[in-house]
Order: sequence, then C-alpha cells, then structure tokens
Amino acid sequence: MKSPIRAEGTRGHAARLAIAAGLLALWALGSGCATVRAYQRERLADRIMSFQADAKEAARRTKALEAREGSTGGNGGAGGGCACN
Amino acid sequence: MRVQLILAGRRLAVTACLAAAWVVPAGADPLPEEPAVKSMYRYFSDSHHVGVRSLMGDYTLAVKGNAMLALHWNNERVRIPAIDAPVGSPEAVDAITTASRPISGNAYQDFVKTRNEFQGELSSRGRALEYYLSSESDYLAQQVAARYDRDFQDQIVNLAVGSSYGWDAIKPLADSDTDTGHASKSTVHWDVVATRALTPTTLFRVGLEYNVVNGLQHNPYRNVYAGGTNVPERHPDERQRRDAFLKLNQYIDNRSSIKLNYRLYDDDWGIVSHEIDTNLNQYITQGMIVRYDYRYYTQTSADFYRPEYATVDGIGGYRTGDYRMGPLSSHLFGVSLDMNLAELGVTGRMLNRMGAWINYERYFNSNNYSANIVETALDFRF
Repeated sequence: MKSPIRAEGTRGHAARLAIAAGLLALWALGSGCATVRAYQRERLADRIMSFQADAKEAARRTKALEAREGSTGGNGGAGGGCACN
Repeated sequence: MRVQLILAGRRLAVTACLAAAWVVPAGADPLPEEPAVKSMYRYFSDSHHVGVRSLMGDYTLAVKGNAMLALHWNNERVRIPAIDAPVGSPEAVDAITTASRPISGNAYQDFVKTRNEFQGELSSRGRALEYYLSSESDYLAQQVAARYDRDFQDQIVNLAVGSSYGWDAIKPLADSDTDTGHASKSTVHWDVVATRALTPTTLFRVGLEYNVVNGLQHNPYRNVYAGGTNVPERHPDERQRRDAFLKLNQYIDNRSSIKLNYRLYDDDWGIVSHEIDTNLNQYITQGMIVRYDYRYYTQTSADFYRPEYATVDGIGGYRTGDYRMGPLSSHLFGVSLDMNLAELGVTGRMLNRMGAWINYERYFNSNNYSANIVETALDFRF
C-alpha cells in the first residue's frame, strides 16, 4: 500500500533531482571539453585518486548508516568505470 | 492486478538487464585485478551498548577468458542489550532503543544473534554479474545484480549502468508484545553513473539511483506508544527512493588527493536528505597512505512521523517509533592508515606480498546517539 499522505513538495524535489543530475550527465558526456591524453593520466590512476578503491568501504559504511539514518545510496549502485585507463 | 503487472514488468526489466550485461559487447578492456585474498575484522559499538563483531574474507582469482571471480563472506555476531523494564510497560517499548530484538521470555538478558553473508561476482571487460545472500535467524535476503560499463571519447569518459533485484523473507521470532507473521520484501534498483577525466589531475563522477521497495518495511518487534497504549509499528508497504550524487577527486602536487562528495536523496515517504563527505589522502612515504575523513548528513522527517501520536491510528493509519523517520543530522570523523609492505621495502617471499589497513570512525547524531567503528584488514596478493 502506498503512503496516502505523500507531501506534494517531494514531487518537486524529485523532478529537480532528476533534471539536475541529467544535465550534469549530459555535460560529463559532452564532446566539447578538453581531452586528457593517455600519457597525462598517470596521476588519475594513482590509488589515492581511485573511485574503485573506495567502493567496498563506502558500501560497508552505507550498510551501517542505513540502520541509523533514513536514506540510502550514493555508492553508484552496481559500480562505475575508471575513466583513467 | 495493476500492481502485480507493474511488479512483473520491473522484474522483467531487471532480468533483461542481467542478460544484456553479459551478451552486449563492452568497449572497455581494463586490466584484470590481481588475484588476492583479504581478511578483515570489524567492531561496531554504540551508545546504546549494541555491539557488532564482523569477520570478513575476500578472495579474488582469475578465471578463463580474462574474467575475474570475486568471493566475499562475512560472519557477524550482534549483541543487543537487555530491556531494563518490565515487558509491556511504556519504558520497555522497543522504540526507546530502536534496536531490532524480540522481547520474549527473559527480556532482562542480552539478545545475541549471528548473521552470515556471502557474495559472488563474475566480471569481465566491463561486465559483471553478482549474487548476494544474507542469512540470520529471522531474516533471509537474496539479490542478483548486473552492471555494464563502457569507455567513450578516447577513454576519458566512462558510462556505467547497473540493476539489481532483491527478495527478502522475514520470519519474526516469538515476541511477547507483537504478533507479526511471516512477511516478505522486494527491492528493484537501477543506476547510471558517468565518470570523466576533467584534467590530468581531476576526476569527476555523477550518478543517479532509483529504488522501488515493496513489502514489510517496519521493525516487526517494535511497538509505538500511541493513544495511551502500546501498538505495533506500521509503515507503508511501498517506497520509492531516488538519489543523485556528485564526486570530485583532485590530485594535489604534494602526493595527496582531496575527494569531495555530495548526495541529494528523496523518497515518497517525504524524507529529503543532503550528505557532504570529504576526505584527504596523503602519502606519508611510498607504500603508506593516511586518510582523514569528515561527513555531514541532514534529513527531514517522513510525513507520518510524529514524536507522539494522539490516537492508535497514528497518521493516515501509519505510526513509527523509528527515529530514522524523524528529522536528524549527523557527523562522522574518520582516520585510516593503509600500508603496502612491498612498497615500504619489507623483504621476504610472504611479507612483500602483504598489505595492512586500519580504520577508526566516530559517528554521532542529533538524537544523542553515538558510535565507534574500528576496522583492521590484512591482504595477500598472489
């Protein structure tokens, strides 16, 4: 059964959430930005820059905090790539 | 009927994603991870004297065709303290502790339970399939997941999509003051994540996540003091949860990096939250990294949350004793040390393939709740 007392304001928040993230995704995929050449990516591949190295730790923290806070997410769900090869 | 069709459609979509993840050719061809075994010890204790001890193991190995198999297991022992008031009295209402424990027989004794978790993932060239299982005396959770990622634009952009379907069986133990029968819960998840190398020292990531949860979503052991009496907690059966996040990793010339993360979340129960997380990673020397972490979190309350309920009907038939449904804010501070013994110059056939990691986190929130988390890990690379 769905909550019959859903706040109207939440719909507005959700729409803004989707639009903002969608615009940012378009920007991230835009082709007009400067290119980082392969030989310039050494520092991006350093483990202190890695998203992947943080993923399991972030998932454990999320699991612990889910039991103490009302929201979840932010780990990229099933994952994400590197963009540093 | 309509609800069943929608649920069937969602399951079908997830199944299609699972199949497509392995069939669709991926453009990316990243180097496989190094085969390794890792063991971890974790201890969580909080201001309510709840303690959780976790023993974890990870095993990663190469399999045929450039694929990797990753196995993870976790054995957890949870100790929830005794209720120090007579069963059924307002003081013994479970909502006081928010702990998930039945009150049965002698409630003056600690409640101890064990949880076992297994996870297996098969990945190859940007594609992955995963199975997850968690088992405890009153809860069995399973999940299948798939993800696919691909590089674009000379490999400076990566786009990843993921989906999962989880199904839980809930069998509450005997409880003196509630009577919840067997129940179930399902979760459908989708996400899309874009990562871009902005400059030779800057990585940027943006992501969207969407979850639909159906089934029992309140604590089957928790009572709420409403209308002058104790009544079982009741939350809605469906919840749509979505979030967007931004991450920025910046390399700094003194061999350090700073990571900034922001997450916006909202759901159809009325909760909106913001999370800001930042950490500084610094090489002390080659092979030794220290990390300092700070996280701030704030949320609004669910529509049906009230500190007190005037009638047993609560708000729209729902009532909660779960402080997570109320307004709250929290802070987390952390520090960790990561060591690679080979890079530190340690010699020996075994030692120079080992790494060690130690982490401490201090968490506290606006409900006078605080917790300490200590983690240590050892890993060995083949």
